[in-house]
Amino acid sequence: MTIRTRLTLWYAGILAASLLVIGYGTYREIDEQLRRDHRKEPMEHAIDETSELVLQVGLPAVLLGLLGGWWLTRRALGPVKKLTDAATKIHERNLRDPLPRTSNGDELDQLTKVFNDSLARLDDSFKRVHEFTLHASHELKTPLTVMCGEAEIASRDESLPSAERERAASQLDELRRLARIVDGLTLLAKADAGQITLAMEPVRLDELVRDNFADAQILAEPQGIKVELESCEEITVRADRHRLRQLLLNLADNAVKYNQPQGRVTMNLRRADNMAEFTIANTGQGIPPEMLPRVFDRFFRGDPAHSQTVDGCGLGLSIAQWIVSAHNGTIKIESATMKPTIVTVRLPLDTK
Amino acid sequence: MRVLVVEDEKKTASFVRKALQAEGFAVDVCHNGDDALAAARTTPFDGIVLDIMLPGRDGLSVLRQLRERKNTTPVLLLSARGEVNERVEGLNAGADDYLPKPFELVELVARVRALTRRGGENKSTVLRVADLTLDTLTRQAQRGETSIELTAREYRLLEFLMRSAGRLCGRMMILEKVWDYDFDPGTNLVDVYIRRLREKIDANFESKLLHTVRGAGYVLKDTP
Repeated sequence: MTIRTRLTLWYAGILAASLLVIGYGTYREIDEQLRRDHRKEPMEHAIDETSELVLQVGLPAVLLGLLGGWWLTRRALGPVKKLTDAATKIHERNLRDPLPRTSNGDELDQLTKVFNDSLARLDDSFKRVHEFTLHASHELKTPLTVMCGEAEIASRDESLPSAERERAASQLDELRRLARIVDGLTLLAKADAGQITLAMEPVRLDELVRDNFADAQILAEPQGIKVELESCEEITVRADRHRLRQLLLNLADNAVKYNQPQGRVTMNLRRADNMAEFTIANTGQGIPPEMLPRVFDRFFRGDPAHSQTVDGCGLGLSIAQWIVSAHNGTIKIESATMKPTIVTVRLPLDTK
Repeated sequence: MRVLVVEDEKKTASFVRKALQAEGFAVDVCHNGDDALAAARTTPFDGIVLDIMLPGRDGLSVLRQLRERKNTTPVLLLSARGEVNERVEGLNAGADDYLPKPFELVELVARVRALTRRGGENKSTVLRVADLTLDTLTRQAQRGETSIELTAREYRLLEFLMRSAGRLCGRMMILEKVWDYDFDPGTNLVDVYIRRLREKIDANFESKLLHTVRGAGYVLKDTP
């Protein structure tokens, strides 16, 4: 029940109660008067007259009260509705836009002010997180460069025993993986802070998809996975070529990694509803429904046991999602346990 | 060949210097931008390895100064920022190549080597390494009398390797030049393609041309 309904009902209740008091008072008065006039059966008369009075005057009064109450609460709570509407639009990215204030100093205005203040604090801490990630990735790269360099030298140092060299080589692999994670984080932090400009140009998406198809076949070969390009319409989009390549490779790489031996990967590129639609489907263990909403989260790994065997930086889908949204497109994943997983990317066509 | 390394981080500067020296380069090291400009004014270098983040005058500003002075020494930019647009910004400012940190030393050495030899690139339409030939007009590959079928990507890979014959090519360099990727995809694409290419050009022949330098990259050359 809304506050407005509740307040109106209370208001009506209070009116009714006061009417009862008035009614009782009137009844006593009439009763007494009748007694003084020595009329017989005063009680019945008194009740009749009182109830007549209450019905004729009281009922309209209560109805009027209900209407009045409805109107009053509406006036009082109107700003709350406006506030609610504005607050539903609050998003991580528009925290800087404050909620509209009436500046008349009433209770609701005070509430709005408090709310705006906490929004500003929230915005501030979001900014700090982004700045932190940016600085952290830069600060991490300097020591990483030194460590990679030293591991690389050690891995090729003929004067070291071969076991030592092996160890250095394995360290180098892990360091490179760490470097890729840092790269991915930097990219996402920059994207969050809106600091990346894309080099937009007309791009033949079908050519990129064909290249990607060839690469996917190569990646899939060791596990005996079959890759198919079912359709590939000639489509031009307005996009950043490098980022699209990155997107397609990320998706193809995932489709191969999270597959079963002798499985399949199927790609399609066609026009749909005036958009370019690229789909990539794979056979595999599927994604349980409860995990589906989280697959784009940074470092989210569906199955902890599976993540041991699959190499990757855990940022692939987050980056893919960013690339797609930076191109004003959409990406969605459909899957279920033991069902094929289908990723659909839609990008606006080049209209020029 | 004399190379100037401009890097403020001492350890990095030190192993970059050692790696380049091991490849036969004479190496000078500066730790800030002003020293670098002074050194470049007095010494004719064959190449400059320039870090972007330097104390005081940063690498991009050093680069612009050099180019304003009509100094055309090839410059390889190093950067820890790894920004998507930084490569473009650097190349626009007059850099010849760009390498994000952390880099592989062999990759760096290979690039410096490519830079300092720039201009001497094989421009003929028929490329030749031992008895392997590649006609860049007809896209025909041949080893001895046997003609070799190549996919589009294999052709591009072979052309790149043949144009840099005798020089070590790092994985990132190959990804950049053959795949047009400006990021490390973290896959073994290059290795798999090299394996397939090797099956086609080397498997049935006595002398091998395509060699793996462990943990470093690949080189196409006549003698092992």
